[in-house]
Amino acid sequence: MNGLELKDYGGTLIDEVLDTVDTPIVILAADGNIIRFNAASQRLTGYTAEEVIGRKVWDFLIFEQEISPVRAVFETTRSEGKPTHFINFWKTKSGERRLIEWSNKTIRNNKGDLFILVATGIDITDRTLTAHKLSETRTFLRSIVDASPVAIVTIDEKGLIQNFSREAERCFGYAEREVRERNISLLMPDPDQSRHDQYISRYLATGEKRIIGRARQVTALRKSGEKFPAMVHVSEFKHGQRVFVGFIQDLTEQKATERRLEDTQTQLHHAGRIGAMGEIATSIAHELNQPLTAAASLAGAVSLTLKKGDHPDVGEATALLDDVISEVRRASEIIRRIREFIRKQKSTKSLHDLNQIVEEASTIALLGAEADGIEVDMQFDEHVGEAHIDRIQIQQVVINLIRNAIDAMRDAKEKRLAISTTRKDAIIELKVSDTGPGVPEEIKARLFEPFVTSKVDGMGIGLSISKSIIDAHQGEITATSGESAGSEFTVRLPIGIDDEHHGGTGA
Amino acid sequence: MTNTMAEPVHNLKGSVFLVDDDVAVRRGVKALLTAADYDVVSYKSGDEFLEALPTMDVSGGAVIVDVCMPGIQGLELQERLKQDNVPLPVIVMTAHGDIPMAVKAMRNGAVDFLEKPFTVDEITTALDRAFSLPRSSRPRHSASSTLIARFESLTPREKEVLHEIVEGATNKEIARTLELSPRTVEVHRQRIMQKMQAKSFAMLVRMAVALNAQLEL
Repeated sequence: MNGLELKDYGGTLIDEVLDTVDTPIVILAADGNIIRFNAASQRLTGYTAEEVIGRKVWDFLIFEQEISPVRAVFETTRSEGKPTHFINFWKTKSGERRLIEWSNKTIRNNKGDLFILVATGIDITDRTLTAHKLSETRTFLRSIVDASPVAIVTIDEKGLIQNFSREAERCFGYAEREVRERNISLLMPDPDQSRHDQYISRYLATGEKRIIGRARQVTALRKSGEKFPAMVHVSEFKHGQRVFVGFIQDLTEQKATERRLEDTQTQLHHAGRIGAMGEIATSIAHELNQPLTAAASLAGAVSLTLKKGDHPDVGEATALLDDVISEVRRASEIIRRIREFIRKQKSTKSLHDLNQIVEEASTIALLGAEADGIEVDMQFDEHVGEAHIDRIQIQQVVINLIRNAIDAMRDAKEKRLAISTTRKDAIIELKVSDTGPGVPEEIKARLFEPFVTSKVDGMGIGLSISKSIIDAHQGEITATSGESAGSEFTVRLPIGIDDEHHGGTGA
Repeated sequence: MTNTMAEPVHNLKGSVFLVDDDVAVRRGVKALLTAADYDVVSYKSGDEFLEALPTMDVSGGAVIVDVCMPGIQGLELQERLKQDNVPLPVIVMTAHGDIPMAVKAMRNGAVDFLEKPFTVDEITTALDRAFSLPRSSRPRHSASSTLIARFESLTPREKEVLHEIVEGATNKEIARTLELSPRTVEVHRQRIMQKMQAKSFAMLVRMAVALNAQLEL
């Protein structure tokens, strides 16, 4: 503006300028009365200059609760003579609120007396609203993130955690503030922990997606050091800079449920098998009853014949006895066939954890044992490991031994059942012992033969079948029994045997 | 070994018509009963027996029939005899433990039941009963006042257990139904046998069937 004097434009120039700017400018006299109220101010408030000149702003433009802070700012600006900044609402003529950010400055005359105060405002109502909305949106998004049943974790390009949802806090055990700006590898066990940085840099370098965009199951690490199965889905966003969002689902519960379901199925499977065994036992019983009935009847006939008169018909008795023998043979033939059948059953031997097999079988066999007042002691040697066996057959043996033990203790005062596994070199040993009366001396030697039983209602088949099974596994089954110390059955199984080799020692 | 004509009754204890599908059982039981002075005719099926029935002298005879056979089963045969008013007492043979079948047979008017395999005593005792019964188309099981008195000496719990027993439930099943331990059931069972003065399980079932007719057990 060199060479140009403002006064050349006349006294209205200042008003022109004030009215040209699109921002409210108010000039106050030293006593606070409005002496200028530019066009932008008029548009903003709805008041005309005439309406406001000579009045004080706090008399009509300021909301009740802001009057004293506004006056305080005015006083400060006036007395200290320094520019001030303040944000306050203006009440428009129609009663609306506008939020104005003010820069106040005093202009003094040559003598240094206070002349006027110029307040230049910026209407920040809309900006604030936008910011507010933005913050609302942010809060809203955050609450969605926090409400998500899936843990959400975001990281930046360096793998540093930015956001950590509430579910993430719950499932990993860290608070968000503990992990923010820490490396995401914190949440995974090795080898991922030490390699995760490489995963990111490889992706950033090659763009080759290995994890991003697809769900995969991983092992994750809680603060407690506990590892847990998790399903992870990673998405990538470019929001100024690159952000990776991980959606993590804790599968612990799900796995537990699956496990329980599996357990139940196993149990049902066993129960069904036991049911089938019961049916087989019934039909065996029926089939055996016929020769046994015949034999018993024939023997009765022999007895009656020999008792008859002074001259019993010995020839007739002898003939009948031959028939008795043939019927007993028939009975034992039936048993032989059953054992043969079991032995020749398609053996499906494979590697199984013996402890697990015994545990499963025990669960079935011990159903109701507690109710019978039986104390069960299980000791599984963790070094037992796997053996090449037919799972179902071995479980039959285990169930049989446990059931026998329970039956034996029916009337015992002390009811203790011990099940244990141990390993000796390449031999796995399973022991089942009880505190029942023990094996009676008279049947000890023939314990594993069919029809030998000390049970009132037993068929004497279980141990015989068990022996067939163990024989087919090239193992051995033995029993020891003290006078009053109950009985102990020991099964020894070699850990690995040739599947084709069936050992012909069934009988 | 089948006759379509009943053999004449000598001075023997009586005629027994034996029906069983197993040849060895027929031979064995026939030998036993022959040695015990019964006159025995055996049939390999219920159908064969029913075919022969019209030509048979059924007075002074008894039928021993297996409940489980191919073709006409024991219970069905018993039913037919009842319908036709054939005055033959029936003894059924059951497989070991098939108590429900035995109870059913007893309710249908069987004299007794025999669990296979049975002893000489068991079968002769059953036959003695059969032959000592008045010849009527259907033996009646009725409870004497002594039997009722014995029954009344049972505790309510024992009565419950008895009811379950004659329904053919095993100790374990009874234990589950009545929420007792199997051992307690066994104790009850022994007390019941004692109080009822039943010498065998068959006898107990017989008593129960008799009581049932009278007391709506």
